[in-house]
Amino acid sequence: MTFLHPLALVGLAAAAIPALLHLLERRVPPEALFPPLRYLSEAERQNARRLKLRHLLLLLLRTALIVLIVLAAARPLFPTQTSGGSLHGPTALALILDNSPSSGLVVDGHPVLERLKLIARGSLTRATASDRLWLVLGDGVARAGTREALLATVDSVGVSARRLDLTAAVGAAARLVDAEPVPAREVHVVSDLQRTALGPGRAAIPRGVRVLALTPPSQAAPNRGVGAVRVTDGAAAVGIVGTPATGGAAPVTLRIRGREVGRALATAGSTVSITLPSLGPGWWVGEAVLDADELRADDRRLLVWRMAPPARVAAPPSAGGGPFVAAALAVLEQGQRVGGGGGEGADVAIGDRPQAGARVSVVVPPAEPALIGQADRALAARGGRWRLAGAGTPGLIAAPAVPAISGVQVTRRYRIEPVTGDAAQRPGNDTTVLATVNGEPWLVRDGGVLLLGSRLDTAWTALPATPAFVPFVDALVNRLARGEAPISEVEGAPRVEFQTRGADTIGAIVYGLDPRESDLTPASPALVRDVLDAEVLDAAEFAAARFAGAGRHDASGLLLVLALLCALVELGVATRTR
Amino acid sequence: MADVQRFDLLDPAEVARFGGIEIVAQGVVEGFLSGIHRSPFRGFSVEFTEHRAYQPGDELRYLDWKILARADRLFVKQFEQETNLRAMILVDASRSMAWRGAPSRLTKRAYADRLAAALALILLRQRDATGLITFDDVVREVVPARVKAGQWARLVRGLVDTPDGLGTAAQAALVRLTSLLARRGLVVLVSDLLFDRELALTALRYLRHRGHQVIVLHVMDPAEAELSGPPEVRYRDPESAASVVVRPRELARAYQATVRREVDAWRTACRRHGIAYHHILTDMPFGMALRLLA
Repeated sequence: MTFLHPLALVGLAAAAIPALLHLLERRVPPEALFPPLRYLSEAERQNARRLKLRHLLLLLLRTALIVLIVLAAARPLFPTQTSGGSLHGPTALALILDNSPSSGLVVDGHPVLERLKLIARGSLTRATASDRLWLVLGDGVARAGTREALLATVDSVGVSARRLDLTAAVGAAARLVDAEPVPAREVHVVSDLQRTALGPGRAAIPRGVRVLALTPPSQAAPNRGVGAVRVTDGAAAVGIVGTPATGGAAPVTLRIRGREVGRALATAGSTVSITLPSLGPGWWVGEAVLDADELRADDRRLLVWRMAPPARVAAPPSAGGGPFVAAALAVLEQGQRVGGGGGEGADVAIGDRPQAGARVSVVVPPAEPALIGQADRALAARGGRWRLAGAGTPGLIAAPAVPAISGVQVTRRYRIEPVTGDAAQRPGNDTTVLATVNGEPWLVRDGGVLLLGSRLDTAWTALPATPAFVPFVDALVNRLARGEAPISEVEGAPRVEFQTRGADTIGAIVYGLDPRESDLTPASPALVRDVLDAEVLDAAEFAAARFAGAGRHDASGLLLVLALLCALVELGVATRTR
Repeated sequence: MADVQRFDLLDPAEVARFGGIEIVAQGVVEGFLSGIHRSPFRGFSVEFTEHRAYQPGDELRYLDWKILARADRLFVKQFEQETNLRAMILVDASRSMAWRGAPSRLTKRAYADRLAAALALILLRQRDATGLITFDDVVREVVPARVKAGQWARLVRGLVDTPDGLGTAAQAALVRLTSLLARRGLVVLVSDLLFDRELALTALRYLRHRGHQVIVLHVMDPAEAELSGPPEVRYRDPESAASVVVRPRELARAYQATVRREVDAWRTACRRHGIAYHHILTDMPFGMALRLLA
């Protein structure tokens, strides 16, 4: 048994009041003449025992009355298996309110999120001051706070642009509440429970942590969304995603700078190509738009692309670029991604030393170790602040700037080190490490030089044998050589952020929704039970099961009834037993 | 005044405001007798003489039922009044009799005096010799039974001259009475009976044994019949130093039962010995009290 207001128990001292009053009020009574004293004495003698019992009973009843009222004021709580309208013991509760984009689906005229918020409010409203509370929203961040603060957060929350991985969120929430030294721990999953919200694997739920989840909807809501848009070869490839059962094709429109430039019909799961008009060089922003449906958030997706003439690349065999580079350049030239006929006027020259006349030189280590010094001197002559040092250890490539080659094995390489001495003090262009192996620079951009730690040969690295090699060479000569960053896609509210260096735009970040949010197929209850280790309950069951693990029955009502009974019995004894 | 109101039916305390004992008693008796139109004590000291035929208007209580049963004829019995019925009225003048439960009521003593005076007047009007003894723990005043003129005034004077006494010992007064009542007669004891019942009954039995008609009038203030008062009070016996602390509210019911038992005990004991017993509260109109004796 616990007490909701234990300080009220101080009032138990008041139980001594009847006895104290009895003692303190023993004053000298008034006197009066009364002739039939013998009758009085006789009556008292015959009723002495009854009167003593009556006095004792009244004292006990009055003391019990005070004790019961004080105990009722302290709100005693007894453990119970049902929650209902009763109170509960201290509980650590992590409430996961899935306000991911799919919660913006409108069902029967109301967004799903509104229904989820009501249920979340129900959980928080039942919380008491002795509970530890966290609220997890679509961003996956666990917010600790008081009941009132979290209720305010729930009230103000809107549809997020971030997808919530429920498996990871439930696992993290369970670990969070498990660390709390309280008798009960619960995780409430208030989500539309679309199948794609469940991440890979199963959530690890510690013993003693209850996970309650709402029953997923029985039917999948039809939906289409623009999952991806990519510009390749003068056309935009628009990927349509959505609930697989959604039938029929829907028109998708491509707009550039607000102007419609193309239209096509597409079904969920298909990709359509819309030809772009001829555009001048520069950065372009467009959007692919579907007709509106019940989930509006995924009906539009932005895209950004760079229009530029292909780089003129010079990579003669005598320069030491290697056969794989030459082959890749041939492919790119066929695709008009690079221009041939470089020579002295090439934009990019690839070789084992910097090429005079080229705007940018891509330098790979010479095949002969004896020529390393010569290459370093040539780099130094071009004002380079990096040089090839001794052999480095094999490892995997880490390349945020060129994600495609990340993870590719490097078996042989030279360490790239910054030069020391006067050369290190030379003013010049900025230096960027574009890729590393074992944390050491492997691809460095230093002014007009791109320095690689390995030759682009399968004897040095597995890269030439991977599908990422041609795109890498493409990026190397067309983007990295110009000092541009990749166009990256990031999950978030649809928008575009350009990266600049000085007056030049060197990259862009395109924000958009996770395409998995468009698939509104609900997870099956069995899958939810299996993956989240959760009790899957409908709304009524969910409401009843909340805090049931630490359910407490408030006995104050019963005590007040007993107090009332005591008062009535006291009244009866005081009046009827005279 | 008496023409307008029947003193015998008014509240005793209200009646007492009209004058002294004599006036009150006369008013009471006048009203009482005009109400019943005959002597209430006829037949007390009379002896049967002969029968005569029933005539309409005769009281049915004098019908001879045995003759009616045997011969189917209506005869009434005729009586010859004895000369000089001797009646003695004993009035308790102890300290306890000087008590009243509320200022609006007469003390038991005042009530008893007026009742005794009225009774004496009735008896004297019937030409019965009537006397008076007042007592507390000793006999205080003795007026021998006479029928001569001025006797009632002497009786009233005897009542008035008797101060409130101390304790009560009715036995002594009753023993003294036996010596004063040589012939059979009527004895009326007016008292609150707050003394030893067995001793008093012994004396009363003796009187009864001597052939006297004995009537006991148990006078009680209404506040003695039902206990009430402050939440807690120390009650003290006016005739002794005894006292007891009680809470009237919690003892009221038990006290009432005790009083009822005590009254019943007196009534039963008196009936067993052929003694008439009447319980009178001091708020009872005198006429009603006198009617109890008829």
